[in-house]
Amino acid sequence: MAEHEHQAAESPADKYYFLIRRLHSLTGLVPVGVFLVVHLSINAMVLAPGPVGSEFQRSVERIHSLGPLLAPVEIVGIFLPLLFHALLGFVIIFTCQSNAQQYRYGSNIRYMLQRATGIIAFVFIFYHVWQMHWFGEWAGGGRFRLYDESGGALAATTTAATIQAAWWIAPIYAIGVLSAVYHLANGIWTSLITWGITIRPRSQQAAGYVCAALGIVLSLAGLGALNGFRALNVTEGTAQKTGHSVTAATRDR
Amino acid sequence: MAKKQHVIVVGGGLAGLSATMKLAEAGVHVYLISMVPVKRSHSVCAQGGINSVNDLTRQEGDSEWLHLDDSVYGGDFLQHQPLVKEMCDWGPRIVNLLDRLGVPFNRTPEGLLDQRRFGGTLFKRTAFAGATTGQQLIYALDEQVRRWEADGLVEKFEYWEFLGPILDGNGHCRGAVVQDMFAMTIRSLAADAVVLATGGCGLIYGRSTMSMICTGGAAGRAFKAGVNYANGEFIQVHPTAIPGTDKLRLMSESARGEGGRVWVPRKPQDPRDPLSIPAAERYYFLEERYPKYGNLVPRDIATREIFDVCVTQGLSVEAGQMCVYLDVTELPPTVQKKLDGILEIYEKFRGVNPREVPMKIFPAVHYSMGGLWVDYERDDNTGGLVLGSPRNQQSNVPGIFVIGEADYQYHGANRLGANSLLSCIFAGLIVAPSIENWLKSQAKGSAADQPASLFDDAVMLHQQRMEQLIHNQGEENPYKLHQELGDWMTRCVTVVRNNKDLQACLDKIDEFADRYQNVSLSDKSHWTNQNLSFTRALEDMILLARVITKGALLRDECRGAHYKPAFEIPPTSADDPVKLREQAEKWCRAFKEQSDRWLKTTIAKHTPDVPEITYEDVDTSLIPPRPRTYGLKGAEIIEKTWKEMTKATPVRKPQAAAVSG
Amino acid sequence: MEEDPNGKHPMSATTHIHQTHTLSHEGNGRKISVKVLRQSDPRGGSHWETFEVPYEPGMNVTTVLQRIAANPTNAEHEHSTPVAYDSCCLEEVCGACTMVINGRVRQACSALVDSLLADSPEGIELRPMTKFKVVRDLFVDRSPMFAALKRIKAWVAVDGYHDIGPGPRISPREQDEAYPLSRCMTCGCCVEACPQFNDHSTFIGPAAISQAILFNAHPTARVERDDRLAVLTGVGGIVDCGNSQNCVKVCPKDIPLTTSIAKAGRDTTLYKIRQWFGR
Repeated sequence: MAEHEHQAAESPADKYYFLIRRLHSLTGLVPVGVFLVVHLSINAMVLAPGPVGSEFQRSVERIHSLGPLLAPVEIVGIFLPLLFHALLGFVIIFTCQSNAQQYRYGSNIRYMLQRATGIIAFVFIFYHVWQMHWFGEWAGGGRFRLYDESGGALAATTTAATIQAAWWIAPIYAIGVLSAVYHLANGIWTSLITWGITIRPRSQQAAGYVCAALGIVLSLAGLGALNGFRALNVTEGTAQKTGHSVTAATRDR
Repeated sequence: MAKKQHVIVVGGGLAGLSATMKLAEAGVHVYLISMVPVKRSHSVCAQGGINSVNDLTRQEGDSEWLHLDDSVYGGDFLQHQPLVKEMCDWGPRIVNLLDRLGVPFNRTPEGLLDQRRFGGTLFKRTAFAGATTGQQLIYALDEQVRRWEADGLVEKFEYWEFLGPILDGNGHCRGAVVQDMFAMTIRSLAADAVVLATGGCGLIYGRSTMSMICTGGAAGRAFKAGVNYANGEFIQVHPTAIPGTDKLRLMSESARGEGGRVWVPRKPQDPRDPLSIPAAERYYFLEERYPKYGNLVPRDIATREIFDVCVTQGLSVEAGQMCVYLDVTELPPTVQKKLDGILEIYEKFRGVNPREVPMKIFPAVHYSMGGLWVDYERDDNTGGLVLGSPRNQQSNVPGIFVIGEADYQYHGANRLGANSLLSCIFAGLIVAPSIENWLKSQAKGSAADQPASLFDDAVMLHQQRMEQLIHNQGEENPYKLHQELGDWMTRCVTVVRNNKDLQACLDKIDEFADRYQNVSLSDKSHWTNQNLSFTRALEDMILLARVITKGALLRDECRGAHYKPAFEIPPTSADDPVKLREQAEKWCRAFKEQSDRWLKTTIAKHTPDVPEITYEDVDTSLIPPRPRTYGLKGAEIIEKTWKEMTKATPVRKPQAAAVSG
Repeated sequence: MEEDPNGKHPMSATTHIHQTHTLSHEGNGRKISVKVLRQSDPRGGSHWETFEVPYEPGMNVTTVLQRIAANPTNAEHEHSTPVAYDSCCLEEVCGACTMVINGRVRQACSALVDSLLADSPEGIELRPMTKFKVVRDLFVDRSPMFAALKRIKAWVAVDGYHDIGPGPRISPREQDEAYPLSRCMTCGCCVEACPQFNDHSTFIGPAAISQAILFNAHPTARVERDDRLAVLTGVGGIVDCGNSQNCVKVCPKDIPLTTSIAKAGRDTTLYKIRQWFGR
């Protein structure tokens, strides 16, 4: 009887099941997780001292210095891994039957949240990319500009303008950012178990504290940046058309 | 052999699984029948360990011979000694085998097996795996059988019930009738040997330390089919159990083996917190009365002493509920850890932490030394068995073999702690070559050659019985009837017995048998009808209850677990040495007379009305019987006198045994 | 309709030994409400039935079910049938009587009524485990768990059962690691509470993974290590664990299942790497 199970023809998905699932875990960490950390760090530059948005502008410029390579790098290095992680994630979520209502253990609630935040983050990222990335332009999105026609810095102000376009956009961003951060921080914690790095309850607990700290730091960075963009005075910022425009942008209040 | 021969093993505890794996190893196809997944068999409840002589005890002067001596002394000489000798010789080999099978036995720092001391011996002979040794042993055997199952040599019938053997015209067993406990379908299985490894019958006593499946149902069905039942009256009452509403949970002897002490406050029902009672005001009655063995006297003695302290001396810890303290609070945490498995049970079921508060315990029905009668073949050269002889473990019905607690061998009138795991596995291992040889002798006219009608008729009969039981009209509730039976048996046929109560109980059992005819099922369905299964077993319980009680009524003496104060030889009382000597001699003569009259196996044979009882001599060729005092204070003179009186007859120790010892 | 007027013991003459174990029946006529999810066979639908059971001090859920069996009259005073359930040792060492009691999976024998009522005074709710096919009432078919043990070769492949001396030496530390894992009684609590173990998942479950780790650590059983790891790296293997860690919390034997799972994570990774590099 047992023999039959073993001899049943394996589909490629079955054959590479372990590899695919390990790749899922890996892509969540590298590059997607790393990208999230970088992205949130750059966003947080809007809070840097000095002329408002200048540090942010410089950081974004550094990325854009890749020039024509940027698009392929983004596609291969971020979007495809992200898409792989997300789509396989949906398949995984389909196999789950949450019982957090019944068994209200912390780890079980975190398990349920990992799946919920995965879905939220995925939807949010779609929205965010449509809204801010040039990929989204064909669909009427893509509000982000690095420079205006005369070369004036626009990174911060276009971002801020998008955030401020309606009252509900900032809350959506807050939820999206927190979901993504939670998903990453908890994902790191589970991946340490998945890869067999934290084995015993004590090391898992210690890792839990470290991941929680990371999550808090990233959340503060993300929400801080969001607040920074929300508070940025867009009209003043865009009014500046000189080459070194950002100096004139001032913080509201 | 032209046709493939099969063996049916009924019961998947330690005995059944060892027989199954050993048969499968020999290439025999086995049908393994069990009412529960074999991994859940009652053997899981064994806690303390398994006895064998080991390198350590050997250096302290121990030998297989002394293990034999401890076992037969503990069993009050009622067991056939060749079997016990062979078992003790196999002890070290069996423990080695279990070690190889991956049982996580506790270890010494050097990586060897750790051992603890158990009752009825002065040596640390017991290998153990925490306090769940039985569970660990059965898992190891379950795993081996699963391996054979994957290889196709074992076919498991789990959640199937054994309804009875199928006997051909010559009275040879040719198979069994079994029932699927889910679909309730009844079918036959053809086989040239049926091995019953169906355990004890504690449920006859209502609540005991036994599992819900230990009804004795299979034994009752075999008895009805003609297999004799031997030494039924010898029922072990374990000294230490935790009272409960559904069952009485065992508190293993290992608690005492690791240093736990039994005591009561000297002041009756002392209301103080037990830990605040100073040592001088505590009565460590086992230690005081038996300085040599202390808390590790054999079970029958410990049980009677606890009973005596509570009932006769009125020193029960509580007034409303009889119990004594079993105290492990003074043991160091490392030792307590070895007992975690059983301490957890106490904590879970009583809600009190026994590491901090002494446990309250009381005796409970635990093991049936008696069981279905089986044969053996003695090897006159070694004093042990002729291994591979088809007579070994075979009952008086050809083709039916019995092993484990279901048989009557090995433990005599009282079983030593940690000897049952050994006897179960031993019998399971040695029955396999015996069956192989039996199968060879059955090549002609085997089960496969029997007419189909033999099997069909047997199935039909059981089907009719089932329908009749389901549709029986009456007033009797089987569960309540069972409870009454249990109450009577517990009252009359346990620790202290007298003929008046035993006769009353026997009469009552007749009444129960009559009332059983009016039993009515509350569940009349044909799907997973547990009501039916239980009620059917109740009939077997009543049958065996009669065998047990009648055996107890007829046996007018005290031997091991069978204690009838009216027939106790009065102890010595004189202070004057000459008088004392006279008394002791008189005592010894009375003991000799008693042995001559009663050192016999009780054999019950089924008849349509009452079981017919006869007696059979016991093979005591290796170690002559002697008074069983366990160094009781004041009984030294008896031991001394007996030794002097019997000097003339030296111990007949066979050559081979001397070599192995 | 009719209640047993004498309590449960019609016989008045009880002995010392018996009195002791009967734990006096001064329930003061108090009754506990017991709601049972019943189902007459695997194909049928299920329905709730309530029983009123006289309270006894120290009683557990198996006692409750025994009392119902002896007097199967429901709260509506209708004649019913005994509730089918799996049970054997009644001391939480065989694993048989596992069911969902007041929303939590556990053994009926070690579920004490007093503590259940302390948490939910309105009564006791019993339902069968949800991850297995119901046979009848609270009785479920856990054979997939035993089949999983076969798949992961949970055994020590010894040469034979003849006498060839002792097994390998094992340090107390190794024994200390193995013994807790070896206490698994295949009761099914871990898979019942596991959100990854269900109808649309092929997950093998924590119990089997832990057994694989147990045997892979044994000096002799190690020969089949790669066979076990092959199963764990296959469909329904270790990667299907979602780290909800419910298993370790509901395990009645406190088996460090999540430690086994993490070890399996490590060992399977190394095994695959070894495989890719041709060992």
